[in-house]
Amino acid sequence: MSDSQDIETATTAIQTSQVAQPDSKTRRYDRQLRLWAATGQSSLESARILVCSGSATSTSVLKNLVLPGVGHFTILDAHVVTPEDAGNNFFLEGLDSVGKSRAEEAVRLLSELNDGVEGQANTANLDDILEKDPSYITSFSLVIAHNLPSSTLDRLATLLWSNTSFPPLIVIRSAGFLAEIFIQFHEHPIIDSHPETPASLRIDKPFPALLDHALKLDIENMDVIDHGNIPYVVILVRALEEWKASHNGSPPKTYEEKSEFKKGLLARKKKADEENFDEAAAQAYRVWTETTVPNEISKLFSDPGVTSLTPSSPAFFHLLKALQQFSSQPPHTLPLSSTLPDMKSDTASYVHLQKLYKARAEEEKLVFKSILKKNGAPVDDAIVDEFVKNAHGLKLLRGEKWGSLDADKNALSACLKGNTKETATHLALSALARIQAANPSVQPTEDDLRTAVLALIGGELPRSSSGEVIGESELEEAIGELARAPTADLPNTAAFLGGLVAQEAIKMITRQYVPVKGVCVVDLIGSWTGVVQP
Amino acid sequence: MSTKASSRSTHVEAILGRDLYAQVRNVKLLLVGAGGIGCELLKNIVLTGFGDITLLDLDTIDLSNLNRQFLFRKKDVKQSKALVAARTAQQFNPSVRITPIHANIKEPQFDVAWFRQFHIVLNALDNLDARRHVNKMCLAAAVPLVESGTAGYLGQVQPILKDRTECFDCMPKPIPKTFPVCTIRSTPSQPIHCIVWAKSYLIPQLFGEDEDGGDELDEAEKQGENAEKIANLRKEAQAFTAVRNALRSGSHPKPNGSTTRSRSKKANPNGDAAQLVFNKVFEADIQNLLSMSDMWSNRAPPVPLNYHEILNDSFVLPNHPETDAATSNGPFVPQNKAHTNGHNVPNASSSSTASGSGGAGLKDQRELTLRENLELFIHSTNRLSMRLNSGEDTISFDKDDDDTLDFVTAAANLRAAAYGIGGKSRWEVKEMAGNIIPAIATTNAVISGAIVLQALHLLRKNYGGLRNIHLQLKPEVPLNGSSVGAPAPECGVCRDTYVELLCDPSRVTLGEAIERILGDGDDEGTGPRDVSVYEDKRILSDPDFDDNLERTLESLGVTRGKFLTIVDEDGEWGNVAVAIGVLPPNHPPNGPALIPPFPLPKPPRLSKPTPPPLTPNTPPRKRTASVMGGDDDIEHVAPPPKRTKTGMPHINMASPSKKKRLEDEGLLIVENPDEKVDDEPELITIDD
Repeated sequence: MSDSQDIETATTAIQTSQVAQPDSKTRRYDRQLRLWAATGQSSLESARILVCSGSATSTSVLKNLVLPGVGHFTILDAHVVTPEDAGNNFFLEGLDSVGKSRAEEAVRLLSELNDGVEGQANTANLDDILEKDPSYITSFSLVIAHNLPSSTLDRLATLLWSNTSFPPLIVIRSAGFLAEIFIQFHEHPIIDSHPETPASLRIDKPFPALLDHALKLDIENMDVIDHGNIPYVVILVRALEEWKASHNGSPPKTYEEKSEFKKGLLARKKKADEENFDEAAAQAYRVWTETTVPNEISKLFSDPGVTSLTPSSPAFFHLLKALQQFSSQPPHTLPLSSTLPDMKSDTASYVHLQKLYKARAEEEKLVFKSILKKNGAPVDDAIVDEFVKNAHGLKLLRGEKWGSLDADKNALSACLKGNTKETATHLALSALARIQAANPSVQPTEDDLRTAVLALIGGELPRSSSGEVIGESELEEAIGELARAPTADLPNTAAFLGGLVAQEAIKMITRQYVPVKGVCVVDLIGSWTGVVQP
Repeated sequence: MSTKASSRSTHVEAILGRDLYAQVRNVKLLLVGAGGIGCELLKNIVLTGFGDITLLDLDTIDLSNLNRQFLFRKKDVKQSKALVAARTAQQFNPSVRITPIHANIKEPQFDVAWFRQFHIVLNALDNLDARRHVNKMCLAAAVPLVESGTAGYLGQVQPILKDRTECFDCMPKPIPKTFPVCTIRSTPSQPIHCIVWAKSYLIPQLFGEDEDGGDELDEAEKQGENAEKIANLRKEAQAFTAVRNALRSGSHPKPNGSTTRSRSKKANPNGDAAQLVFNKVFEADIQNLLSMSDMWSNRAPPVPLNYHEILNDSFVLPNHPETDAATSNGPFVPQNKAHTNGHNVPNASSSSTASGSGGAGLKDQRELTLRENLELFIHSTNRLSMRLNSGEDTISFDKDDDDTLDFVTAAANLRAAAYGIGGKSRWEVKEMAGNIIPAIATTNAVISGAIVLQALHLLRKNYGGLRNIHLQLKPEVPLNGSSVGAPAPECGVCRDTYVELLCDPSRVTLGEAIERILGDGDDEGTGPRDVSVYEDKRILSDPDFDDNLERTLESLGVTRGKFLTIVDEDGEWGNVAVAIGVLPPNHPPNGPALIPPFPLPKPPRLSKPTPPPLTPNTPPRKRTASVMGGDDDIEHVAPPPKRTKTGMPHINMASPSKKKRLEDEGLLIVENPDEKVDDEPELITIDD
């Protein structure tokens, strides 16, 4: 490939070689680096994943983690390959694999996908390891379990929940076209959640240099071209200041005032086609929407992690504490973001404005850093930069233990009322697991499943305020599907879950983007997904 | 063994039921595309038990495919995707027949008759044009289609069946962003303008076919752009001849980044093609533009660059307020990216060792100094020139062709420097110029699973189960299925009545074809009526324009795989789309030159005259060129109420004008895929 150079090119291609050509690894991962950048890739490459079972679903998940370059994976599976496995698991060599170790066969074939990934097979029994060597399991950074017997799964979940520093667990249960996934974790802070809403431009609270720039601009004597290129941010800051001067220092408040303000903006046009003034009118809400600390962020300040901060707390909480202190000072906002959205303007005006924002953002970041320093909390500079840059999208998720929902009959009833089809499907899958736990060899009937569901929710389905039974038809559908094919690991369901679960695993590992909440139910007959949450 | 062999299908049979499973084994399936979605999908359909699969892809394997296209290995790079994917998947189940075809689905042999042999078609394509083409062919052949696309974390699946569901074209698609000619050629104001210039203007001028570039300017002149400025650009274009010759003369230095030390016969630096190119486009052409003083009365004029001064670090750009880091000479000082791209990382060789945010440590992710850009320009020009001299006729931009990517990066940044615009790193240029869309295995896996399930609904005729599926970034509803809409009544593609005309286009005139399709109206057909006839967006005839009726279909470019669209002049009948096919192999050589469809088409009677007829494809939204030197950032997009008559009957099929090409390549930049999809859930595209 292009990694190799002939001696002449190598010796004569002086400066260009150090700047132009990315290495082959960057090229291989090009399309995903554009989603999670080098930081995400680096987290992925240092992750060690344990997958319990070598089923078609498990190998589908792993395929999607090996391809993007996860550091290490182990398949833990004591089974040998059956003819059924051979027919639905692409990472077995058909009938040639029958009778061999499922873990070893799958690891061998998965490893072919990416020689930068280390794969290992473990043919021991999970129950034995839980008994004798639990630290083996907790040494991984993430554990994924597919269709484990419920007693084994419960022990695994209990072990991993027993210490906040133990790895998260992703539980997958699937049967035919129905499935669910659940992520067990104590807390999961996300600095870069890739939020959809951009940070505030602080037009209502302009920083001094911005205000100064807006007021000094000689708009009246400007020529037509320049006038059509004033960025809307500047127009709004100026117009607001002028408005406040004639309204006792208040921004537009009532509907009438707001309409008047907008009209005033459009009246400033020198030519009818000045788009920048149209943009200003469209963005006028920024003038009367006060920039404060967003609710979601201020809620984090009262999180126990912040209120009972100790020197040994994770960096995220020290950063949150500093952020709280920063925003308690005027102007009571988050640090300014230096990214400016696209807007109608010429290059010179836009770049000038961009510089003002950048300079101010740098200043505020220094203030933030000095607070952090005063608190005596040393945090890596790169992380601080990342934190400040993404301050408006910070997330802190707190999870639950696997099985806690099923242990709470009232919660299940409440879920049935709120997310009926999701909860009905979840209940059917839980019922199936209970029956199989009691007697692995029996093929449950619809009656068996119905009885088990009712036992789970405490006797009968809940009723609505008008007395109607909730969830009956949804439950019957799910039960019917499970009774039809209680154990089938269908290739398309496996492929689908492989994508979905690997995606969630990557979100957890990279700590970017927000993972699914609660129990996520998948129905591939109806082609829908949804969550069960109380 | 027989029990083993049969139990491999146990799971699938249990779920699909014996009947559907048996049916699936006999289904003839066409999978178009063996890329991100295609690889996943091929695995799924083999595992599901489809017995006869035709796999078509025109592409070859690139290193950047390997993070998701799991049927390929590093050793397969540069080989045909279709062939390698088929070979890899075949190993899994030898009893499945997989027929790989390394070709473009738009080639004429893949006509309606060819499509009709399949029971179902699955689209796994990466571009709008091909997706629309397959949509239309499937409608014409009445074959069910499952359409799909992914971009980053987002994806979409749409089952399509003529007269029952919406088709791919029922919902309007986004128009790629385009820029006025003059913004690109004379007055760029953003980095993207410089990138488009380098990619779509400079590369074709230097390394493309020998054209004088006149079409575009003739067109601009007709649109009323300033004649003097046009004349000026014309002069500029003609002077390319000398430079083109130098690039092809073979007397250029070795590609060593230096201009003076070389083994070339002409040690004279003026013989250096790269320098000739540079002097023309970054010095002389800019000087020339500066002479048009009124162009610069309201904007900052560009600055001609000087080759030697840049190389010996003595060149000083006047102080544009908006440029320092990207264009300042001398050592690289990252300005606006100082906190993300460290100062001392250019030699870091691996992304995994990098710490910090953004793309720190990726060596093509920093901006280059002016001198570095010039050196890269020289180096890449020489490499491209060598390729011309070693037999390549023409070279066009390809994001995966490093020589062209380097060239575009360097040329765009040099132009940006001259115009006082910020530069871009090679990494960014690749994304902007290459229309790169982020792509990962997970999304493709989810979408491919959903595609098969929709395909099974279609095959089972379980139309109630059909869903349009959207994969989205919502923690509560990662995947959402919505019910499938009915065909849009005004759709210009799926509301047409499709028929096939088997003929020898060299022996059938347009008038004859129309007459035979309309029939005499007694027992079948609609009978003669006033119609307009189109091929794609070209009008071939209407009641006031009959010059083409005596010409053969072939001379009009209406050949195998193309469609004639017959539009009723009074709006009383629906449109008829006539697919051109070939005469059967056993047709006697002296037999009739055409076999009309049987029965003749009876399009639906329209109750009232329709609004102006729509084009067979989506309405041609031609931008009108904006006035030179004026508000060139304003886009004038005016969908004409009716198809415009172009200057027929002369048809030049050989080479579309550069203007057209520039428009076709108009960039579709996905800066924030989430945003785009939130607005228009139907519009997600594209993974290769």
